[in-house]
Amino acid sequence: MSSITTSGGLQLQVQGPLASLRRVGAVAANTVREAGRNRLFFGILGAAVLLLIFSVVLSDLALVDQRARLVQDFGLFTIPLLCNLTAILLGVVLMTKEIERKTLYAILPKPLRRAEFLLGKYLGLVLLLLAELLILTFVWSGVLLLRGGWLTPVIAEALALQFIEIMLVTAVALFFSALSSPILSGVLTAGVFVIGRITYVISELLGAQKGVFVEVPLMRALGRVLLAVVPDLSTFNISDELLLDWTIPNAYLGAATAYGLSWTAVFLVLAVLLFERRDLV
Amino acid sequence: MADADILLEVEKLAKTFRVGFFGRRVQALRGVSLQVRRGESLGYLGPNGSGKTTSIKCILTLIRPTQGQVRLFGLDPTDPLARARVGYLPESPYFYDYLKPTEVLDYVGRLYGLDRGTLRKRIPELLDRLGLSESMNRPLRGFSKGMLQRVGIAQSLLSDPDLLVWDEPMSGLDPIGRKEVRELMIDLRRQGKSLFFSSHVLADVETLCDSVCILDRGAVVAQGALSDLLHADRLESEAHFTLPIDPEPAVAALQRVAGVQLLDQSSTTVRLVLPTAQVSALTAAALSCGAQLTELSPRRDSLEELFVRKSVHLEEKSAAKEKP
Repeated sequence: MSSITTSGGLQLQVQGPLASLRRVGAVAANTVREAGRNRLFFGILGAAVLLLIFSVVLSDLALVDQRARLVQDFGLFTIPLLCNLTAILLGVVLMTKEIERKTLYAILPKPLRRAEFLLGKYLGLVLLLLAELLILTFVWSGVLLLRGGWLTPVIAEALALQFIEIMLVTAVALFFSALSSPILSGVLTAGVFVIGRITYVISELLGAQKGVFVEVPLMRALGRVLLAVVPDLSTFNISDELLLDWTIPNAYLGAATAYGLSWTAVFLVLAVLLFERRDLV
Repeated sequence: MADADILLEVEKLAKTFRVGFFGRRVQALRGVSLQVRRGESLGYLGPNGSGKTTSIKCILTLIRPTQGQVRLFGLDPTDPLARARVGYLPESPYFYDYLKPTEVLDYVGRLYGLDRGTLRKRIPELLDRLGLSESMNRPLRGFSKGMLQRVGIAQSLLSDPDLLVWDEPMSGLDPIGRKEVRELMIDLRRQGKSLFFSSHVLADVETLCDSVCILDRGAVVAQGALSDLLHADRLESEAHFTLPIDPEPAVAALQRVAGVQLLDQSSTTVRLVLPTAQVSALTAAALSCGAQLTELSPRRDSLEELFVRKSVHLEEKSAAKEKP
């Protein structure tokens, strides 16, 4: 890594991949710090912890031998959902705030590439969401123990796969918020999340014998476009398989991870390409 | 071949924005060209909306120019290496309000690749120099506009840049703050730093700059060394006389010299302005009428006069106001 020496004798490390990584790290650290001081993040985290604790009360409604199962299902549904909600809200809020409050205007003229900034923002958010997932999993495993269950390796695999979905949703949130207003970005990201979770339904409707997606050409075209541009988020949800106590083949886990990371890369690259062209007036 | 002494070179910079629902074209910059050389201090002037901030944002890659070229230290400004040697202060700077000044500077320092040891030493020094040592551990959300401006200046100086690009550095500062920043700028010049700054405070520009560039409606209307610009348009001199006991005939004699204009007169003195070429004729007239020349100096426009004259836009606006 070569450096520049200023007239006052300071060494500036701005060239080379290591310097680039350091800048990405600086942006990521600041993003974590920003989100860590954000009430929204702690609000969602607090609500999620309360919900998981509430599942103890809820499990009292079930038969004694089904209580652990209820807590398990409740957690597997709640934790990814709330982490995805955090990803959408923080992804949109933190990025658009940088543009609207013009904090970005003092940062981008530094020896920092826009791609580095966006990647740093993304990594910071992902680290924060990982922390959220781990905290919630910790609370949840305590609740599970209380009800006689435990965090099995298969459940851990299911959560790991859900984390790939969270990473992908974060990339979608950054993609939209690098281009548009906070409200529009939030709506569009939430739209991708909802459609992504029901793409298998759209797929089934397109393959059916009759129905609006088959008979109306416009709807058929819309369905096909949605299937092409929206990632299938149901790939990362294996709670049904867990319910049936199926084992998940490693090949599926690998393919789902590769699928999720590829879509994440696509959204990040598109975000960078469009953000590079954006005028910060 | 790039001249190593040219730190900033802007050539025929143009920017057209599309605004409104129908994408109406608004030309914000029309072929702006300028240079900042090593050790030079260039004042960037122009009425509100003349394109100063837009061109500064083009220089620092916040806005993509429609046409033209910018070179920083002979490099394309999109190269981080080029921007590493620039200290930028945005207009009314906004920073992360949850951070303390020390944290802002630490973040900025990391972007410049400064090591921890350097940052630990340099950050308190800079904050102290800018009068922020007592507030260095308070979050920015409680800071006044002037204090934020000081944080902005501190972050622009952190990397010891060769070229400072400051957009309205005096904005939001009280008179004491302005004086301190002025002194800081003089000190930076003494250190050999190059300054390129926009300002509406013409007195400061006149004190701090070697040269100015005046922009109006996105185009450069005057540019050059301050001394040249303030003399270039008017080759005039100002003369002060002590008058004899009977002043009126003497004043009349002096006024008969071609081109002489009376500025003011008392019972014992008179002040005149005249084309410099007429100075010898005036002194001859003074000898003949008994007036005594006490002071003769080349007449200099103030920067304010030059600015008003060159800013067509302003003149048009004042003309429009005068219309019934």
